[in-house]
Amino acid sequence: MKLRMQITKEAGIRFVSHLEYTRTIERAIRRAKLPVAYSEGFNPHIKFSLASALGVGITSQAEFVEIELAKEIDITVAVEKLTEALPMGIHIKAADVVGSKTPKLMAIASGADYYVRIPCFGDCLEQLQRFNSAESVLFQKPIPKGRGKTKEIQVKDFIKKVEYDYSNKELELRFACKITTTGSMKATELLKILRDQFSVPLILEQADIQRTDLYAVNDKGRKKMLIGN
Amino acid sequence: MRKEMSLEILSSVEKPARYTGMEFGSIIKTAEETKVSIALAFPDVYEVGMSYLGFKILYHILNAQPGVAAERTYAPWVDMEAKMRENSLPLTSLETMKALNKFDFVGFTLQYELSYSNILNMLDLGGITMLATERTEDDPLVIAGGPCVFNPEPLADFIDFFIVGEGEEVMVEVMDLYKKWKNEGKPGGRKEFLERVVQIPGIYVPSFYKVDYLEKETQGIPAGCVKSVTTVNSLAPTAVQKRIINDLNTIDYPTKPIVPYGEIVHDRIMLEIFRGCSRGCRFCHAGMVYRPVRERKPEVLKKLARQLVDNTGYNEMSLVSLSTADYSCLEPLIHDLINEFKEEKVSVSLPSLRIDSFSVGLAKEVQAVRKSGLTFAPEAGSQHMRDVINKGVTKEDLMNAVGAAFENGWSQVKLYFMLGLPGETDEDILAIAELAKAVQGKYKEVTGKGGAKVTVSVASFVPKPYTPFQWVGQNRLEEINRKQMLLKDALKIKNITYQYHDSITSVIEGVFARGDRRLGKALYLAWQRGAKFDGWSEHFSYDRWVQAISDAGLDKDFYATRERAEAEVFPWEHIQPGVSRQFLWNEYEKSKTGTLTDDCRHGDCTGCGVCPALDAKIIDWKSSVL
Repeated sequence: MKLRMQITKEAGIRFVSHLEYTRTIERAIRRAKLPVAYSEGFNPHIKFSLASALGVGITSQAEFVEIELAKEIDITVAVEKLTEALPMGIHIKAADVVGSKTPKLMAIASGADYYVRIPCFGDCLEQLQRFNSAESVLFQKPIPKGRGKTKEIQVKDFIKKVEYDYSNKELELRFACKITTTGSMKATELLKILRDQFSVPLILEQADIQRTDLYAVNDKGRKKMLIGN
Repeated sequence: MRKEMSLEILSSVEKPARYTGMEFGSIIKTAEETKVSIALAFPDVYEVGMSYLGFKILYHILNAQPGVAAERTYAPWVDMEAKMRENSLPLTSLETMKALNKFDFVGFTLQYELSYSNILNMLDLGGITMLATERTEDDPLVIAGGPCVFNPEPLADFIDFFIVGEGEEVMVEVMDLYKKWKNEGKPGGRKEFLERVVQIPGIYVPSFYKVDYLEKETQGIPAGCVKSVTTVNSLAPTAVQKRIINDLNTIDYPTKPIVPYGEIVHDRIMLEIFRGCSRGCRFCHAGMVYRPVRERKPEVLKKLARQLVDNTGYNEMSLVSLSTADYSCLEPLIHDLINEFKEEKVSVSLPSLRIDSFSVGLAKEVQAVRKSGLTFAPEAGSQHMRDVINKGVTKEDLMNAVGAAFENGWSQVKLYFMLGLPGETDEDILAIAELAKAVQGKYKEVTGKGGAKVTVSVASFVPKPYTPFQWVGQNRLEEINRKQMLLKDALKIKNITYQYHDSITSVIEGVFARGDRRLGKALYLAWQRGAKFDGWSEHFSYDRWVQAISDAGLDKDFYATRERAEAEVFPWEHIQPGVSRQFLWNEYEKSKTGTLTDDCRHGDCTGCGVCPALDAKIIDWKSSVL
């Protein structure tokens, strides 16, 4: 049996790294004394995983964690205990149990929604329109641990369009980003593309980025919630 | 309440989570709840400061008091400091993001001399008037404690009062006194508060003392040495005796410590099993100033361990003390802890090993399979030097210990030594290389093959106050450098790694360790010229320090390399850790002939004077069990 939860990463802890966030959840699970399953081997660790890594500095309403349990538990009790054990800055939004054989969240998460508020000094509407209507937008994506090496990706494969709202020198953006087995894109990368390739006068350092949803996509291309189905 | 630092600043600095708090277990009290506030200030970065047990203890004890809000603050790393100065942002606490100058108290811990420049920098960043004498009613009371408090004189200009010794009880007394004084409407201002607080035992108010210096050489003691230290306020005691907790079993221990998000230096449960160490190593400051030995009961420790595991979620627990292998009931305690937490996959670790096969056996038990390498500290290479420092360890002991380690599958050993010990000859130094070779030879003897990796790590010796070597002249810089090279040449051996520290930092450490209050000026000048994070070699500038000391009209050699006469009055003698001057002198005399002194814990009383001075006694549970 696996316990799945949707949890948050609130503004106050947005600069905690993914590794630190993961370790924090592990310690919370231990504090909550859930009957968890451990990995085999000399250095046993709790069998749990997160659906998708979140960049440093980004807040989230939709982080997903799944914990493999050694025995059955009452979900209400588990949520209660974990709520107590989580630090300020992480809250549980939903919880569910699924069978052990259910595919990992990591394998089924195939899209994320973002909401961005960012200072923008000057005209941007025409440029954003241009991004939305472009057939192809190429981006040199840095290869992780590639020492400055990049690989060319087709942005439009991941982000088709952005919704926008501009007032008082602040631009609000909403967009969906595809997650594939071979990779995805970061919200910050899109902002950089808009600034550098489309001349949207953005101040990247002041971007307030939030992940608002993370979901699976079914055969018909429809969004499917990761838990509670 | 909480004010968020701008995204732009936080996203432009290294490890921004250092500055954002909100960790599990942190305590945020409302302004209404708070009658007195204190910022516990660690003069180094978050990861270092968060690992410090003393502040975990005080955070817990103080916040348990109704009306007291204890918060934390750390030195911002240089990138963040630049941003703060550029944007006129003050240094704040992590809990309520309140500027340091809005606290009633700012309390620094004095862990090492090279952190003093950071104290000044934090005062400045916190918007607090630098000099104690110039502070007004709007400034917090700036206080300090910790190991270096046994010579606080170089900081006398900047600190309103010091807490001498263990803080659990005295800090609460100070908070209670402040609450009362505040309720009365703060009569008499800062001065009256200092006059009230100085009446609490263990409180040292430096401005209530006057230091006179010899104008000319007197009875072989050079001009410039301390002539006398006298009180200028009748309420101040002539000498301040350190405070201790007589029985650790009766005092509250932090069982709900803060669990950080990010990885800190010691990211595990720290279970303090005893205080003090009476092995009597003659170079060791901690061994002299934290006496007597007082153990926690195994039953108490097991109870604390259970609560700590439940409350933190850590999967590692370190049994901490000055010399963990000396805990009287260590073996049964470790067995019980391992059994208790086996199911929960909590491992138990020992921070230091004694040089004997018993310790190796324990290491095997706690480490199970992870054989990362064992560390031993013979401290000196030759038997003569080890006797001089009263280490009480022979080459045979070391060979037995490493032999046991190699038999149990270890193939890596790290050995700690010191260079520049009193009376050291080149032969003594070369003996370090011989010892390292002998360890390699032992591996061959035990396993029948070569290839044992031996790391020789060498620090340069800095004489500390309240040790038998407080009279000794520190080796000159050139001499240390020469000795380091001598050893380097002798250690050009396959599979031996030689590590040594920057000798220049130990010169400045030596100056401040045995310095007097005139050094406050040098510290101030060095800070003005950019000194900070001096414990980090990339920020330490030897030339800046030498210039600042000289511009303050002082001579570094006077403090560091000068051999003191027996009768010289030291700048720190009005701060008393309890060990008698006569005992220290006798130990120094014995060191010259390499005569050993036993550990009073199991043998006879050595007459150090601590127990009668503090009305305390050794607490060792083996004697009560047998």
